[in-house]
Amino acid sequence: MSAPGKTEPTELIVRARTGDTQAWGELYREYAPAIFRFCRRAMPTREDAEDATMEIFMKLLDKLGQYDQTRSFTAWLYKMAANHCWDMLRRKKARHEKDTDDVEDVILEAPEPSQLEKLIEERSSEEVRKALDKLGVRARMALVMRYYSDMSYDEIADALGVRRAFVGVVLLRARHELRSALGENSALAVGGTR
Amino acid sequence: VSHTESINKHVDEITLLMYVERQLDRASAQEVSLHTQTCTKCMNLLHALDRESRLLTRAMLEQDEALPARIAEFHARAKRNMQWIWGLVFGLAVLGVYVLYNTYVQPWEQSVEQAGFGGTNLVNLLIFQGAFWKGWQSMFTLFEVFALMATGGAGMFALRKYLRRGSAMAVVMASLGLLAAVSPAPASAIEVRKGDTVTVGKDEKIKGDILLTGERVRVEGDIDGDLIIFSHDVDISGHISGDVLGGGQNVRISGPVDGNVRVAANTLTLMGTVGRNLMVWAQHVTLENGGSVGRSVMSFSQYFAIEGHVGQNVTAYDQITSITGTVAGSVQAHGESLTIGSNAQIDGQVKFEGEKPPDVATGAKLASAVDYTKSDHHASHERSGSYYVWRIIWTAAFLLFGLVLFSIMPEFSKDTVTFGEHYGASFGLGVLVLFGVPIAAIIMCITVIGLLLGISTMFLWLVVLMAAEIVVGTIVGQWVLGRATEFWPLISRMAAGVVLVRIITSVPFIGGWASFVVGLWGMGAISLALYRRLQPVVAPNIPSMPIGPGMTPLPSNTTVAGI
Repeated sequence: MSAPGKTEPTELIVRARTGDTQAWGELYREYAPAIFRFCRRAMPTREDAEDATMEIFMKLLDKLGQYDQTRSFTAWLYKMAANHCWDMLRRKKARHEKDTDDVEDVILEAPEPSQLEKLIEERSSEEVRKALDKLGVRARMALVMRYYSDMSYDEIADALGVRRAFVGVVLLRARHELRSALGENSALAVGGTR
Repeated sequence: VSHTESINKHVDEITLLMYVERQLDRASAQEVSLHTQTCTKCMNLLHALDRESRLLTRAMLEQDEALPARIAEFHARAKRNMQWIWGLVFGLAVLGVYVLYNTYVQPWEQSVEQAGFGGTNLVNLLIFQGAFWKGWQSMFTLFEVFALMATGGAGMFALRKYLRRGSAMAVVMASLGLLAAVSPAPASAIEVRKGDTVTVGKDEKIKGDILLTGERVRVEGDIDGDLIIFSHDVDISGHISGDVLGGGQNVRISGPVDGNVRVAANTLTLMGTVGRNLMVWAQHVTLENGGSVGRSVMSFSQYFAIEGHVGQNVTAYDQITSITGTVAGSVQAHGESLTIGSNAQIDGQVKFEGEKPPDVATGAKLASAVDYTKSDHHASHERSGSYYVWRIIWTAAFLLFGLVLFSIMPEFSKDTVTFGEHYGASFGLGVLVLFGVPIAAIIMCITVIGLLLGISTMFLWLVVLMAAEIVVGTIVGQWVLGRATEFWPLISRMAAGVVLVRIITSVPFIGGWASFVVGLWGMGAISLALYRRLQPVVAPNIPSMPIGPGMTPLPSNTTVAGI
């Protein structure tokens, strides 16, 4: 996971690590919007996303000293954000949400390419975001990690606590859930290529 | 996983997805590439999946809403204050453990040693040698499990922010495993008998330890092991070759016990012989004439009467201690009164610290005169001049304490005073903390492995209780002198208020109740402030930061592998 077109804020990090509040403020202002948006995609409500964003930066403040400057700061921060959001989601899920992830045995039929193309043509980004809200927590989290923060399969596996080989399955199931939420599942499921 | 079966079969969707995302190994990727060059359907699906990836990325990265005002700025100051507090708390906890050890544990340890529990220290005795817990380990499997679960839970809670679930679980499980591994294994399976009336008959001979629970327990036969009892009414007349451990409302031991008797009871009557030591927590204890304890006696009772024989020393923390029997060692008693009857014989030194001078009958045979120390305790209605002098000194100490608190934690102190004015919440939480925390601390101490945590919690509770007076004092000071936010005006209000509060709490009869109310109120306010601080830190009412197109926060990070 890299940050093409953007240099790493090395100097800001060095200064923030020494307790420079101005540097910390700059670092926060630079990264908070992206982390908030990440949380907004991953968490079920805006309030949860706001809480998660604050908590992630509190954690960052504590752990900035542990950051290895030879690695990408953005990637490191996203990994921290993903871990935090997933922890929060698991806690919430354990408390009051039904588990929608236990569908491992359901066989997925591949979509008809033309129908999938049609779906992609017809659906807007906003509709996709709304559909995301209807997904199970793991499916949504997997998609956000992969397509928002461009995390690798290894990083996703690590964050979700699943084997790397299973990440592809999680992502594929998530896409099927998403297509279903977009209301086109029945049409897409026919005539699989399996 | 074979990703491509043959050129004639279609590639499955997951393989195509992994190909799109560049997650296939080289060989599999080449197979897919080869296949899609000749298979239109798979090529079309590949394209569709790639387009779907791009749609997903686009949908997610679009800036569809502004950054909320609440998180436009990071309120780092509060976070730093928290670090102050936790540093202080940790320091105080360490100091508290040190003070507690020196003030209470060490003298107690000496008392225990004097009571004949060997020349070893208390912690060693309790935990490592397991003398006190002998038999309990085999008895209280469930208790142990709860203790470990409680400790494990506390560990998980403490580690939750630092370790991810899997690793935290691994650490805790490994710790529990280690604990289980180092714990002494039960010597043998214990026999358990339960029921309304449980009896070990005259002709019975039990080999090994036995646990008896029921409304009534009768032991008339012999037990070649430890006897563990929990019952309303206990009568032991058989021969016990091990220890007697447990509790009941009325416990009566008339048979010989070769080991120790360690009992918590309402009434304990000992008529038989105890080969080793007696340790008892009870309301009323009688070592009857004819009964004897081979070694030492330690008692924590309301009334303790020694009419029989004690082979070594007696350590008594009783309200009333009466000795009319013989003690071959020394006597160290603390409490309200000590009576030594005319038939009593004590071969060692007698020390008594209490409110009344010891009542020694003329015929009593003592090795030396009783070393009496009058207890410092005064009843509230018997306040002497020195009491008020000490109150003044303590008031000065409280003012200094308040000054220190306001200096090192100005924001937190102000918050606490503000929360103190939320009377309902403060009193409600105060009740919970004032009573709940000591109970929790005691439970932690009972689990033995949570001893340190329990003692630290108790110490913190005491510190908060003392700080409660400062908080309430400041609120009262503000009532009298008006509100203040600056440091020195606030200190002056705190000082005036604390003096007023201490005057009120010094008044005979109502002072005790006033202290109680102050404790409740102040503790609640501090707990409320602490609770709020532990919530996610936010900066309310900070104006929204303009989020313009030039402020795209993160770079495009949406590389999705194409074909």
